[in-house]
Amino acid sequence: MLGVVDFHALGNVIWASFVAGVGVTVLFSIAIYGFGRADEQRRSGHAATAYVALAVVAMVVFAAAVVYGVAVMLNK
Amino acid sequence: MDDVVLWIVVATALAFDFTNGFHDTANAVATSISTRAMPPKVAVGLAAVLNFIGAFLSLEVAATIASGIVDADLVTPAIVFAGLVGAITWNLATWWWGLPSSSSHALIGGVVGAAFAAAGAEAVLGQGIVEKVVVPALVAPLLALAVTAVAISLAYRIVGRRHPGPVARGFRLGQIVSGSLFSLSHGTNDAQKTMGIIFLALVANGTLSASADVPTWVVVSAATAIALGTYVGGWRIIRTMGSRIIKMDPAQGFAAQGAGAAVILSASHVGFPLSTTQVISGAIMGAGAAKRLSAVRWGVAGNIAIAWVLTLPASAAVGAITYGVVAVFGTRDVGPVVVSVLLVGLLTAAFVRRAAANRALPVEG
Repeated sequence: MLGVVDFHALGNVIWASFVAGVGVTVLFSIAIYGFGRADEQRRSGHAATAYVALAVVAMVVFAAAVVYGVAVMLNK
Repeated sequence: MDDVVLWIVVATALAFDFTNGFHDTANAVATSISTRAMPPKVAVGLAAVLNFIGAFLSLEVAATIASGIVDADLVTPAIVFAGLVGAITWNLATWWWGLPSSSSHALIGGVVGAAFAAAGAEAVLGQGIVEKVVVPALVAPLLALAVTAVAISLAYRIVGRRHPGPVARGFRLGQIVSGSLFSLSHGTNDAQKTMGIIFLALVANGTLSASADVPTWVVVSAATAIALGTYVGGWRIIRTMGSRIIKMDPAQGFAAQGAGAAVILSASHVGFPLSTTQVISGAIMGAGAAKRLSAVRWGVAGNIAIAWVLTLPASAAVGAITYGVVAVFGTRDVGPVVVSVLLVGLLTAAFVRRAAANRALPVEG
C-alpha cells in the first residue's frame, strides 16, 4: 500500500495546508484585534496609529493570500 | 457506441453533476448560514455562481479522475452508465439521510462495481483505489481537522479578550471571503469529475482520442449542472453540517472555511484529489474539538464516518447491480434506455418528496 502513495505530493499538501489554513486565520484574527484595539484607543483619547497599522498590514497580507489562492487555481 | 447510448451516458453524467452540486452545497455554505454570515438564499446563490466560475479554472483533475481506477481498455459505455447510476443513487440516499459523503468516492465506487460486474477483478486497479480513494480519505478529514484546530486555537488566543460583538461581526465578514474562496475551489475540484467521466465516454465511443483536450461544451455543461445543483441546495445536509456536528460561532466558521479552502486548493494544485466533503467535515470537527472535545457531537460525526466507509462498497454494489440489469436488456442500447427511464422516475419522486420536506422543515438561518 505504501508503495503507491506519492509522498512528495502528500507532503506538499500537508505543509501548504498548514501554512495557508493557519496563516489565513491568524492574519484575519490579527486584523480584527488591531481594528478593535484601535477603536478602544480612540474612544479613550489615545493614539491608535500602531494598532491601525497592525490591522492594515494583517489585512493586506490576508488579501494577498486570498489572491495567491485564486492564482493557484488560475495557473493550473 | 450507439450515439443514443452516448447521449444517455452524457445526460446521466450531468445528472450526477447536478446531484454533486446539491449534495455538496453544504460544504460551501453550511458554516456561513449557521453563523448568520449570509442569508441562506444569498449563500447558495453566491456558491452557485462561484462553482460555475471555478469549473472553468482548472482541467487538471478532469484528466486524471477517469484513469487509474479501472482498466480503461475494458471500460464500455454501459459500465460508465452503471457507475454513474451507482453514484447518483448513493448521493440521493445520503442526502435523504442528511449525511455529508464524498461524491467523488461514490463515482469511483460506482464505476469500480460496474467494471467488476462486467469484466471481473482484472478490470479494477487496486493500486488506483488505494492511491485515489483510501489514502485521500484518511488524509482529508484528519488534515483538515488538525489545521483547523490549530488555526482556531490561535484565533481564540488573539481575539479572546476582545468584545464579542465586533469580533463576531469581523469573522462574519471574513466568512463571506472564505466561503467564496471555498466555493471557487470546490468548482475547480468537483466539476472536473463529470468532465472526466464524459471525456471517458467520448473516448470509449471513438469520438475523441485519449490524448485530446476536454471539449468546451463538456466544460460548459458540467459547470452549468453543478451550479444549478448548488443553487437548488441540499438543505438536509446543510442542517447537519451547519448545526448538528457542532454549535458554531463565527470564528469557528471562518477557520473551518479558510482551512478547508486551503486544503482543497493545495490538493488541487498538486493533482491530489481530496473529497471536499471530507475536508470541510473534518474542519468543522476540528473547530469544535479545539474548543473542547465535548463540543463535537461525536454520534453525528460517527454516523458521517460510517457513511464514508460505506460509500465505496455501497455505490459499487449499486453500480454492479445496475450493470447486471442493463446486461439483461442488452448493454448496447436497450439496457441503458430502460434503466435511464427508471432513474428519471426515481429522481422525480425524490425531488417531489424533497420539496414537501422543505416546506415542512424551514431552515433556521
